[in-house]
Amino acid sequence: MTARPDAPLKVTGRATYALDNVVEGAAHGYLVLSTVARGELASMDVEAVRAAPGVLAVYTPFEPLPLHPVNSALLGRMWLPLQDKDVRYHGQPIGFVVAETFEQARDAAALADVAYHERPAATSFSDGLTSAVDAQPAASEAPPSLTVLADGVASIEDALEASDVTIDATYETAAQNHAAMEPHSALAVWSGGELTVYAGNQAPHLVASDLASAVDVPVDAVHVENPVVGGAFGGKATSMPALLASAAAVALDRPVKAALTREQVFTATANRPATRQRIALGARRDGGLVAVRHDSWSTTTREIGFVEPTSHGTSREWYTTENLAISQKAVPLDVPPATFMRAPGEAPGSFALESAVDELAEAIGMDPVALRLRNNSTAPPGEDLQWSSKHLDECFEIGAARFGWADRTPGGRRDGDWLVGMGTATAMFPGLRFPATVGVTLHDDGTADVATAGADPGTGLLGVLRIVGAESLDVPQDRVVPRLGDSRLPPGGLSGGSTATASAGSATMVAASTVIEQLVALASSEEGPLRGHDVGYAHGTVYALDAPERDPMTFGDVLRATGRSTLSATGTTAPGEETTKHSFGSWGAQFCEVRVHRLTREVRVSRLLGVFDAGRIINPRTARGQLAGGMIWGVSAALHEGIEFDDDGRMSRRDLADYLLPVNADIPDVDVQFVEHPDTLLSDLGARGLGEIGIVGVAAAVANAVHNATGIRVRRLPIRIEDLLEDG
Amino acid sequence: MNIALEINGTTEHLDVAPGVTLLDALRERLGVTGPKKGCDRGQCGACTVHIGGRTALSCLTLAATVTQPVTTVEGLSTPERLHPMQRAFAEHDALQCGFCTPGQIMSAVAAADRGLAEPDEIREFMSGNLCRCSAYPTIVAAVRDGASEEGRADATV
Repeated sequence: MTARPDAPLKVTGRATYALDNVVEGAAHGYLVLSTVARGELASMDVEAVRAAPGVLAVYTPFEPLPLHPVNSALLGRMWLPLQDKDVRYHGQPIGFVVAETFEQARDAAALADVAYHERPAATSFSDGLTSAVDAQPAASEAPPSLTVLADGVASIEDALEASDVTIDATYETAAQNHAAMEPHSALAVWSGGELTVYAGNQAPHLVASDLASAVDVPVDAVHVENPVVGGAFGGKATSMPALLASAAAVALDRPVKAALTREQVFTATANRPATRQRIALGARRDGGLVAVRHDSWSTTTREIGFVEPTSHGTSREWYTTENLAISQKAVPLDVPPATFMRAPGEAPGSFALESAVDELAEAIGMDPVALRLRNNSTAPPGEDLQWSSKHLDECFEIGAARFGWADRTPGGRRDGDWLVGMGTATAMFPGLRFPATVGVTLHDDGTADVATAGADPGTGLLGVLRIVGAESLDVPQDRVVPRLGDSRLPPGGLSGGSTATASAGSATMVAASTVIEQLVALASSEEGPLRGHDVGYAHGTVYALDAPERDPMTFGDVLRATGRSTLSATGTTAPGEETTKHSFGSWGAQFCEVRVHRLTREVRVSRLLGVFDAGRIINPRTARGQLAGGMIWGVSAALHEGIEFDDDGRMSRRDLADYLLPVNADIPDVDVQFVEHPDTLLSDLGARGLGEIGIVGVAAAVANAVHNATGIRVRRLPIRIEDLLEDG
Repeated sequence: MNIALEINGTTEHLDVAPGVTLLDALRERLGVTGPKKGCDRGQCGACTVHIGGRTALSCLTLAATVTQPVTTVEGLSTPERLHPMQRAFAEHDALQCGFCTPGQIMSAVAAADRGLAEPDEIREFMSGNLCRCSAYPTIVAAVRDGASEEGRADATV
């Protein structure tokens, strides 16, 4: 078990987040947001803003800050603020005020007098269903609809009709905001033709490329630093303040700091969209699935953009079924943009699918764990590529025993005024890798750097680099210095898609073995201390294979003997032919106990257990943190979080008092267990991702437990007290 | 207006507008950036400091109104030695992204000062400090351990 390398900085207040950088002469920027949900800007009277104390510049679509088109590697063609007069949603950035101090910028921004040509806005999901269109699910090559039918079956409807037992229900999940504790923020410094930007993000090398395009300077003149990131969860692939601060720093030729207020974070970034899902399941009396139908709707902007892939992310792959039909539609609305948020697709999709499986278990009269294992898949339906390493059955067996699942009774139990119920669900997240390059540098003082651009927004990647680096170099961990969060380091370690450990970890192994080869060659070369010998490497030392009497030399000794201070190599890995041979995924079994008060209908989660099959676990300590955190996100989706819009299209609940997140008193002890089966078919490292799977299935496990406790099936998140009133 | 603030044992003189919060004065004027701005309206706890030995939300406190000594997370440790609560947070991995951690630790020290030891008491007391990474279970463990260690440290004095 390894402590986070950055823990000493984080507990003493010395970790430097974007806005903790203090530079002389920094000006402060403040955003102005739209106050209607749809229309066009008629005018912006900013004379009073300009005249306010300390104001240096005011940028609006009428006097824009120059920004050039950006084709982002992560997000595609990016919308750029202040470049046009269209208002697409309430809370869209429409102005940027720069002043000497934060207070001056904020107070001046409030003086802007904005007039709109307002048009009727559509922000209601249910009203918008009639305008739904087929849509490509996010991060997928798949068509919106996909059907797999057994020989001789004409349609999914026929397959459902021919089933002994069917259930058919519609589920809804609320839109959500990532709500990382660090609001999006940046300090941009323009000096000598170089732009340095301090901004929390998930991949500094990619953000540097986006910013270079936006401000039209060469990419090697842009330097992005994010040594620590105050949470991301998919929401920091880009940063509005970084864009605006960078352009303003260039325009004004002085450093500019900018941050979103907490209220602005809710609309000036992007959210997880709301979803609606209809699921029909058909099964035989023995529980065998005959047909799975999963139709999904996701809210989107009018330009569509990101579509939450709920059925493609779950029913497409999770269970063995003879017949499968899934579809994806978008419901375009005048709402803030949508984007990836922790387990995009899988999180809301699993609420629907795993609730439906629970409903089917009840209809058949079968134990929910047994039903899931009865339909355990060896490959995605209709595909030949078997799962590389899947131990879901083991997860459920261990979990059921540990949780006391055998004590569950169909009607729950009573404990005084509390109705107590248990629920379970499957969790799954694909096993992915992205291309990554890692540099390993040996130093003559006997230490080694392991470096990649990347980010550790709390995920533990910094510790993973130290552990894998030490293991690959065969040296103690305290000799390895992991480095992340700098666009000038080798490109890799993107924090997204639960890919960083498998990607950067395997690249570290390649870089380490390459630098060891170079070291051995150096030691036995003409200039080397072991010239003429056959040389080997073990335990961080070089030794002569043919002269065992000679003392082994550390790599520091070899470097000093050859007059070098460092020796470096990079290693690059990328997904390869393994993807043509197997399907990859992490799996888990979630268990939840809830207590519902007989009279007040308050729901308390009293126990949570997750048992996960995520391949090799590199650092159990930080892995537990990721998974427990994800599980608590699942509780939050089930009982707390939800974005709503007022009738005029304004987002309500735009702060941390109204947008409910769990606090410490809402959360019980969380039990996280692993079944460790290294997945060496995915990479030599054997690890799959685990940053996202923790959330998957939890909301369904909560809802299933609520049903077990009360007999009430809630098919809409978040579950509210009014959903549980007897006559509700 | 000219004000004097005692921050972590050092008296600082500065000229601020009356509307400047203690949080912004610390961060932007004095370079004391441990306290964080997570919401700027007293809803998240990331800016928690001690004023006169009591926890306070520095984002809801105007700098000009502060007359008692202020302690931030930086003031708990010396370069050589972590405060027992800081060590407990690191050892229990009671953090992920770390952004809320300075505020969590200031509240945790206050919990220990009150002698809170039962997990439910600690959960309740710590509920003004949001952690979106949701390290809540390990935070509870760290507060218990840090408090007992603090007690032991006091006993040896």
